[in-house]
Parts: sequence; structure tokens; C-alpha cells
Amino acid sequence: MSERAGQLGRVIAAVWRISLAEAIAYRVSMLMWVLTTTFPLVSLALWSGLAAGGPIGDYARPDFVAYFVAAFLLRQFTASWVVWELSGQIRDGGLNTLLMRPMSPMLYHAIQNLAALPIRCALALPIGVVVLVLAGGLVWPSPGSLALLGLSLALAWLLNLAVHVAIGCLAFWVTESTALFEVWLGLYLVLSGASVPTSLYPAGLAEVVRALPFHASLGFPVELAIGRATGAAATHGLLLQALWVAAFGSLAAVLWRRGVRAYEGVGT
Amino acid sequence: MSAGASARQVPRLLFYGRLVAAQLEMSTLTALQYRLGFWTEGLLGLLWSVIGIAPLFVAVDHLGAVEGWGRWKLVVLTGCFTILSGLFTALLQPALRESMTHILKGTLDYVLLRPADGLVLCLTCAFHPWHLVEVLGGLVLVIAGLWLGEVEVTATGLLAGLATGAAGLMALYAFGVLVLCASFRALQLQALTHVMEALMDFGRWPAQVFPPALRLLFTFVIPLLVMTSYPAEALLGRLSWGTVAELAAVSATLLVLARLAWVRSVRGYTSASS
Repeated sequence: MSERAGQLGRVIAAVWRISLAEAIAYRVSMLMWVLTTTFPLVSLALWSGLAAGGPIGDYARPDFVAYFVAAFLLRQFTASWVVWELSGQIRDGGLNTLLMRPMSPMLYHAIQNLAALPIRCALALPIGVVVLVLAGGLVWPSPGSLALLGLSLALAWLLNLAVHVAIGCLAFWVTESTALFEVWLGLYLVLSGASVPTSLYPAGLAEVVRALPFHASLGFPVELAIGRATGAAATHGLLLQALWVAAFGSLAAVLWRRGVRAYEGVGT
Repeated sequence: MSAGASARQVPRLLFYGRLVAAQLEMSTLTALQYRLGFWTEGLLGLLWSVIGIAPLFVAVDHLGAVEGWGRWKLVVLTGCFTILSGLFTALLQPALRESMTHILKGTLDYVLLRPADGLVLCLTCAFHPWHLVEVLGGLVLVIAGLWLGEVEVTATGLLAGLATGAAGLMALYAFGVLVLCASFRALQLQALTHVMEALMDFGRWPAQVFPPALRLLFTFVIPLLVMTSYPAEALLGRLSWGTVAELAAVSATLLVLARLAWVRSVRGYTSASS
């Protein structure tokens, strides 16, 4: 048993090293991906401009700065791109190679994702710091809430991964599963809090939006980071995140299992 | 000399007209194989363009009007944005991605060897016709916004709107070509078309909302506002002809730059195929 665990550990370490090397080799491409996620920073410029005349809802100008810089940084930690790789591999038969390896393709994708995180953060942190210096400081959360934030980030990362895998697995049955993902992404940009804090939506609508998985995957960790979610609200949010992770995780697992069974390995 | 040159140019133009038509027809036929794509990408793309207005409406909800743009004027702006993003995702984005794949794999050789201008071939090599649904939806939004906002559109306003819209489209293409040229140098730049897509989303906001530095950036470097905000203002009769001329000049400059960059890039292109 421990031998198998040791072997798995070595395999994981090897994949990590390869993925890290890949991430470094294509650093311009990585920088481009980081740039796509700078989007909250332009939202920051827009909203802080609008808030110049007075607070909007319960957000004054400095609040918008804190919110969107946090959104930008936290998006780097939770980013995933498995759906593109997975659907491509299913379509062109690249999955065959992965299935032959002594580890689950799912684990492979997860490690590949994690391995790119250090580079992403190294590219994103300077941008975040520059914006903070230009626009005013950010209050650091207390150690206790940092632990909660870590947990919440891990859940958000898992949620994103599960969504990516679930939608990517649809490629086992339909050819254009990435089109469905674009729809998800469109909803994500509006409903997750990347372009506007979800608490600013009109009363009634806001409650609905904040219960959706989009908010769980970005908006809530951001509110936790800037100290807007405390006490019962924090517990509630974490529970909601866990619930969504469980829902999408099991969906992804079911789709993956059924998909592999239906998979015919076209291509190579 | 000039008579002979123009006599030669007319069949040349016809040739390119036929070439573009043939390329579009071919990619339409390819595209029609993916019927699910039609429903998901076309109709839901339209839906998404409309949902994307949400942050703007949140702002209007709290502030009454955003820098002089009321609810219905914002609908007109969203319509302009939807038309442009529809054209981008239908025509330019697929062609850029396909051409970048050609560069990455070295199959650009086969494109360059053909007896026609390489840039024209590259810019027409793929086409996603279902996204044209978004263009139609955008037109409906513009008309509805003008109607419900009780805006009287004058003939000059319409003309100015069309002129700025055309300038915006040219600027978009020029920017796309520059991105394509960049991918000769750094491979794996497909991500750049995503950057463009994400950036285009800011075209939803009225120009006045942007801080001055960003407004300059989005007018002259990445001409987003030329494509969306200014045509909407022209339709609403709030744009002077001087500004229209300025915007046209920006687009023309970008086009010339793009063409020069393309010629340079192709000259430096060393085939990567086996």
C-alpha cells in the first residue's frame, strides 16, 4: 500500500515538474492569459469613476479599489483551462495517451493546473501591487480570516475545476462542448462579481444571484478577503461553496465515468 | 498608364470579390456541420450580449443616469456593441485563430503559395455564420432603443453613425491584423484573441465613464470606443463631424500600420513545416 502511495507520489512530482517547465516555456502565452483576467482592473477604473460623486450602494470609492484588486488576484488562484484541453483531447484522440498512463487523467489535469499557479501569481502580483500603490492601500485581513480565505479559495478552485471537467466531458457526446462553456463564461463574467459586486444588484435579484455557483467561485472569496463577509455570513458562504463543489464534483465524476465507457478513441 | 492600370484593376477587384465569396461559402458549409453550435453559440451569444448590460443597469439603478446616458440610450449603445461583437466573433475571430494555427503548424506556406494576396486569404479563411444572429439582434436593440427613448434620428446623424461604425470596423480589422503579426514572433498566441474578446466587453460602457488615460488608450491604441460608443453617440446626434473625421483618420492610420506590419512579418516568416 505504502509502496503504491510512494509510486503515485513520484508520478505526481514528475507531472508537476513537466507542467511547471511547460508553463515557463510558454510564458508569453501565460502572460496573455493573465492579461485576460485583468478585466476586473478596468472595471475598477469604471466603477471608481462612477463613485467619484458619492458612494454607490454600500460601496464607496476605496471599497471598489479593494474589491476589484482582490477580484483580480483571487481569479489568478482559481483559474482553470481544463475544458479546452479535455474537449480537444477527446475530439482528436489525445486522451488515449493519458488513459495509458499510470494515473487518472483527471489527476493529471488537476496537477497541471496547480503547477501553473506559481507562474501566474508571479506575473499577477506585481500588477496588483502597482494598482494598489496607485489607487490607495488595501487593509490586510486578520490571520483568522486568512485561514478562512485559504479554505474558501481551495473550494473555489475545486468548483472551477469541477465545472471545467463536467463541461469538458460533454465532448464525449457532442462535438462543440466548448461553445457551452462560452455560455458559462458569459454568465460568469456578469454574475460572479467580476464586473460588478453582486450585492449592488437590486434587492430580490441580489439574493438569487448570490446563491448561484458563479458567486461561490469568485464573489464570495473576494468579499471574504476584503472583510465584507464575517461571522454567520462567512459560514453560510463557505457552506454554499461546499454544496456547489459537491454538486458539480459528483456531476463531473458521473460524466467522466460514463464518458470513458462511451469513448471510442478516434484518432491516433 | 493610369487608364491601363485601372483597366487591370477592375478584373482584379472582381477576382477578389469572387475569392472572398468562395471562401465564405466554403466556411459556411463547414460551419453548418455543427448544428448544435448554431443554437448554443448564435442564440445564446445574443442572449449573453443582452445579459452583459446588467452592470450598466446596476449603475443606472443607483445613479439615475450614467454621465448623461439614460436607460434607453444605453440600450442603443448595447445594440451597437452587440452588432460589433457579432461581426467580430463571426468574421474576424475565427479567421485569426485559423491563421494563427497555420503559423504555428507551418501550414501557412500553402496559403502564401496561392496566387492571391496572403492577407486576404488569411482574413477570410474561417467564418462562423451563426454569430450573424447577434448582428441582427443588435440592430433590433438599436431600433428599439431609439424608438422607446423617443430619439429623433436625423439623416446626418444616421450618416455619421454609419461612417463611425465603418471606421470602427476597419479599426477592429487593423487591430486584428496587428495581433496576427505578433503571433509570427511569439507562438501560442491564440490566447490573444481571448484578450481581444475580453477587452471588447468594455465597449459596452459610454466613453465618458472612462478616466482620460483609459479613454485615450481605448480610442487610439485599442480603438474600442470608436467601434461602439461613438457610433451610438452619432446616432443620438451628439457627435460633431470633426470628431467623425478624426476617428476615420485613426482607423486609416491603423490600417496602414497593419498592412506594413503584415508585409514585414511575411518577409521574416521562415516556414516551420517539415
